[in-house]
Amino acid sequence: MEQQSLICTGCGCLCDDLDVTLSQGQLQEVANVCLWGLSRFFPNKRLHPKKERHRLLEPLWRQNGRLQKVSYTKALEQAAAILGTSRRPLIYGLTNTGSWAQEAALQLARKIKARLEPADLAFKAPYYHSLRKHGLYWAPLEVIRDEADTVLFWGANPLHSCPRHLVRYSVFARGRYTERGVEERQVAAVDLYQTEMAKFCHLLVQIEPGQELALLQGVGEHLPGGSGAKPPVKGARKLAKLLSQAQFGVIFFGRGATYNQGFGVLDALGGLAARLGKKQTWALFPLSGDFNSQGLYHLLLNELGVPEAPDFGHEDGVLTSSMPVDFHEFDAILVLGADLFWFLPEDQALAWQQRQVPVVSLSPFANRTTSCAQVVLPTALAGLEAAEVAYRMDGLPLVLKKLLPTALPADRDILLDLIQAV
Amino acid sequence: MQIKITGGRVFDPAQGLDGTRQDLCIKGDRIVSSLKKTDRVIEAGGRVVVPGGIDLRGQVATYGLNFLRLWGGFSSPQELGRLYAAAGYTHVHEPFLTMYTAGYVHRQLAAIPLVDTSASLVLNLRDLDNYLKSIDQLEEVGQTVKALQEKTRALDLRLLEPFVRYRQDFYAHRTLDSVKTMEMLTRLALDCDLRFTLEASPEILELPFPEPGLFHLGALGRAVTDGRLLDLALTRLAEGVTGDLGFASPDAPGKMDKKPVKIDLGGYYPLDLNPAGGDLLPALRLALAHQGPNLAFSLGGPVRNPLEEIPPLFSMLCDRRARPLVDAKDLPDREFSLSDWVWATRALPAKILGLGDRGHLQAGARADVALFDLPPEIPQASWPQYFGRCHTLLKAGEVLIDNFELVAPETPKATYYRRTGVDVGPLLVEICQYRSLRPENLWVADALGGAWVGLD
Repeated sequence: MEQQSLICTGCGCLCDDLDVTLSQGQLQEVANVCLWGLSRFFPNKRLHPKKERHRLLEPLWRQNGRLQKVSYTKALEQAAAILGTSRRPLIYGLTNTGSWAQEAALQLARKIKARLEPADLAFKAPYYHSLRKHGLYWAPLEVIRDEADTVLFWGANPLHSCPRHLVRYSVFARGRYTERGVEERQVAAVDLYQTEMAKFCHLLVQIEPGQELALLQGVGEHLPGGSGAKPPVKGARKLAKLLSQAQFGVIFFGRGATYNQGFGVLDALGGLAARLGKKQTWALFPLSGDFNSQGLYHLLLNELGVPEAPDFGHEDGVLTSSMPVDFHEFDAILVLGADLFWFLPEDQALAWQQRQVPVVSLSPFANRTTSCAQVVLPTALAGLEAAEVAYRMDGLPLVLKKLLPTALPADRDILLDLIQAV
Repeated sequence: MQIKITGGRVFDPAQGLDGTRQDLCIKGDRIVSSLKKTDRVIEAGGRVVVPGGIDLRGQVATYGLNFLRLWGGFSSPQELGRLYAAAGYTHVHEPFLTMYTAGYVHRQLAAIPLVDTSASLVLNLRDLDNYLKSIDQLEEVGQTVKALQEKTRALDLRLLEPFVRYRQDFYAHRTLDSVKTMEMLTRLALDCDLRFTLEASPEILELPFPEPGLFHLGALGRAVTDGRLLDLALTRLAEGVTGDLGFASPDAPGKMDKKPVKIDLGGYYPLDLNPAGGDLLPALRLALAHQGPNLAFSLGGPVRNPLEEIPPLFSMLCDRRARPLVDAKDLPDREFSLSDWVWATRALPAKILGLGDRGHLQAGARADVALFDLPPEIPQASWPQYFGRCHTLLKAGEVLIDNFELVAPETPKATYYRRTGVDVGPLLVEICQYRSLRPENLWVADALGGAWVGLD
C-alpha cells in the first residue's frame, strides 16, 4: 500500500488535498473527494443512475456502422485522413484537457486551418466582453477565502458544478480573516429554481426566465445613489442592501447567467461589480465547471490576444469569434476534452448524423460523442495516468502528477502524432 | 566557438571604457583576454560594443497581466522574447511574484524565448506580522524568507508595502507602522544577509534608511511627484540606496482604453496593472538630476513592446530637444552619455540582481554582447534612432541576432533564482497552513518553468 497526494481534475477547483491509496498499480481508495472527482477516478462505479461512463481502452473505428477495435496506428491514420482531407475542420472542446494538450491542439488547428472552439465559449465570451467594457478586479481564490465577507452566486449552483468550492473557498471555508467561516459571510444566490443553495444562503432570489436584467436594474436603483423606485422584481431591494453592506464581495456566476441574454446579463453584472467596487472591493468571477477551462483562455490570450474561438481557415488570416459555432459550416470535427453530443440539442445532433460529418473523438471515457464518432482514440487520464499542467479557476497553474502506469497515450501525444500525420 | 569582435568602440563603464577601440575575444560562453585561433570574426567598425541589456523591472509575467491583452496592444510572450533580443537585451527580471502566484509567473516567464529571466519574490509582511515584532525571532524570519525564496525560485526580495495593515478593523492590534518595519527589515538584512527592494512611494521616501546599502527603491519615478520628494529621492540615492527609474510608459494612442485592471495579491492595496501613464517628467527629472552611480533604468508599468517603448525614453535622456516641451524648461540641462546609458541598463542592473558575470565585458564575464550601428560622426541627437535596434546580439557566446535578423530562434534560455540552501522550517509550515494549496503545490515544480539556474 502506498499513500500519495493527488490533485482532483473533477472540476475547476483542482482540489489538491486528495489522499489516495495505491496498491499494485491500482487505485484503492481516495479521500477528501467529491462525486465529480470520484467518477473520474472510479469510472466503472455507477455513481449516477443516468450516466453510462466506462473507460475506453482500445482505439475504435466505425466500419459498416459499427465501432470496431483497431490498432493505434490504423486509428491515427484514419483520423489524420479525416482531418487532413477536410475543407472546413473544427476542433471542439479542450476545457477538460491539460494545458500541454491544449497547446498541441492549437498547433494542430494552425496546421489544418481549423476553427478551435472552446466547449464553454457561450459561457465565457460574455464575461470577457463585460471585462472589456467595465474593467477588472481580480482576486485569486486564496484571497477570496481569506477576505470575502459577501458572496453572491448568480445562475450558479456550485454543489453541482464544483462541489467543494463552498467548503474550500467561498462559503464555509475558514479564511485567514474570516475565521468563523460562513458565520462571517453573507451569502446570496439568484436562480430560476429553489436549489439546495437555499439551505444555507441568507438570501435566495428566485426569478422567472427573462427577469435577470430587470432584477439587476432593480438592484441598481436600491444601491446608494439609486432612485429607490419600486423594483420590478421581488427581492431586488434585499439583495441591494446585502451587497451594499459588503467590505469585500464576490459575484460568482455560473452557466445559468448566460443561458438567456448572456451578453446583456454579464454586461449588467460587470457594471454592478464596477459600481459596487467604487466604494468597496468587488470581484466578478466565473465559476468554471471544467477543470482546465481557465488554462484554455489563458493560452488563447497569451498566443492570440483574444479569449475567443480562433479560426485559422480564412484567407485573411486568423479570425476570432465570440459567438458559438454554427456546426453546419464544418465537414469534419475533432472532439477532445468535452462531450459535444451531451450538450447538443437533439435536433442538432440528429442533423449532424444525417449529414454524416465524420467525428474523431479523443477521450478517456465512453460518452455520447464517442458513441457517434467515426474514430475513437482512448487517452490516458490526465492527473492520474499522465502528467499535465492545469489552471485552477483563478488562473493558478498546477502540475498534475502521473501516479499510475498505463499503456494509453496522453491526449497531447496523440495530438502531436496527428500533427505529424496530417 | 571562438569569436573575435574587431574594430568596435567598446563602452563598458565597469572597466572605464568609454568608446575605446578594442577587440573583444569570446571563447565558448565567456569573454577571454585573447584567442589563439578564431572560428569567426565579427567586424564591428562603426559600431558600438556594449554588454547585453538587463531589464531590471520587466513586468512581463505578473499574475493577471494577460487580462490586459483584452484591450490589445500587448505582445505575446513569444513576441516579447524576440523584441527584447532585437533591442539588445539578454535578461528580463519580473518584479512581482508572490508565494502562491510563483507557478504562474514562472510558467509565463518560461514562455518568453531567447532572453534569460528571473523574478522578485514579493513578501507579504502580514504573514510574518507577529514574528517581525520580536527581535528574538528575526533569525527564524530570515531563514523562513530564504526558504521561501528558494521554494518559489525567486532571485531577489521585494516589498510592495513595508508596513503591516489590515483591511479589517478587528486586526488593528497586529499592525506595524512603516518606521518600525524599516527598523526590523534593516536588522533582518544585516543579521541574515538579505537585500530588499522596496517599491517606492512618497511614504517610503520619508522613512529613514539606517543602512542604505541594503536597500533598493523600485520605480522611483512614480513616487517623486513634487520637488520635495525629488530632493528626498536624491538624498536617498546619495546616501547609497540604489533605485530604478520606473518611467511611466506613455499610453499607446488608440490601443489601450484605460479601464481599471486591479489584481488583489492579498496585500493592503491591490496591484494596479493599468496605472495612469503618460507623465514622464518625474522620472526624467530624477534621472537628469542624479549625478551618481545609483540609478538604473526601468519602465514603471507592464511592458507592451520594449522595442517601441524604450528608445523614445533613451532619446529623452540623451537629447534635450527630444524632451516633452511642457515644463521641460525646469529640467536639468544634463544629457546622458552612452556610458551613462550602459551603466543604467547593463552594469547597475546586473549588480543589483547579483548577476556578477553580466553587465560588463571583462575577461571571465558571460559573453552577452550587443553591437549597435552608431558611426562616430552621428550627432548625439540622432543616437536613439541608431540605438533602438541592435545589429548583432550574442548571448552566452552564441549569435542570436546577426545583421538585425534573428538567426538562432531556438537558442536556449534559463530562469535564474537564488539557491539559499535553507529548508522549510516551522514558521513556514505555519504560514502554509493558511494557504488553499498544500505546500508541495505551492512550491514551483520543475515542469512549470526553467531551465533552472540556481545562484549561490
